Amino acid sequence: MALTIEKSKSGEETVIGVQGEVDLYTSPQLRTAILKAVPKAGNGVAVDLSGVGYIDSSGVATLVEGLRSAREHGKTFTLVAPSPSVMQVLELTRLDQVFEIRSTS
Amino acid sequence: MDREENNQDVRLIVRSDPRFLGSIRALVRGWLEACELAGDVVDKVVLAVDEACANTIRHAYGGRCDETLELSLHENGGYLEFKVSDHGAPCPPECIKKRALHPPAADELRPGGLGVPLMYEVFDEVVFCPGATGGNCVTMRLKRKD
Repeated sequence: MALTIEKSKSGEETVIGVQGEVDLYTSPQLRTAILKAVPKAGNGVAVDLSGVGYIDSSGVATLVEGLRSAREHGKTFTLVAPSPSVMQVLELTRLDQVFEIRSTS
Repeated sequence: MDREENNQDVRLIVRSDPRFLGSIRALVRGWLEACELAGDVVDKVVLAVDEACANTIRHAYGGRCDETLELSLHENGGYLEFKVSDHGAPCPPECIKKRALHPPAADELRPGGLGVPLMYEVFDEVVFCPGATGGNCVTMRLKRKD
């Protein structure tokens, strides 16, 4: 099943809302959305993961790519309200210590 | 079907198409629930089996969707056993990187390479070996703690 990805603006930040399961099949869709949004964003990009019921390592790799791209462009990159299952994978991969994570948009 | 195959609880042959990974996860989750594995472990095991299947599609088959992979699930004594096999490009077990997961420093932050470490993180035993008739096979075992 494809992801639902919605883009919106909140002040100087671009918010990418994601719903569905992020895996090897769907992560390219998220990658395209993030890498397109980063250069055009004002201050930075926030990825809302509250509607993501599952994420695998390809999804986490996509988020890492987004963070790297944001740093290259001098922008911020924030994860918003990761669901418990997303948080579990971020903790397992120790990347919860790398990303800036906040609880609300 | 030989005796070992006959002993499996589940044997599933799936096209190597990432579209079907969601169906594999649902099946693995259902089997783990039937085995009454504790809920917090179920999510991690589903993830690690998914990583093994995704690795097969990406590496053994180079992303080709028209091949097949086989997944078998088996409860054996105090262990749950998961086997993923393919007939793709052989990947010598010594080439598979078993690295520990740790928070990367800013300059070594790179996407990818997390699938195999996740498998080692979740399972008590992970064994990569050449498949019986070519290809590759990975066997993952989880010791029941309940």
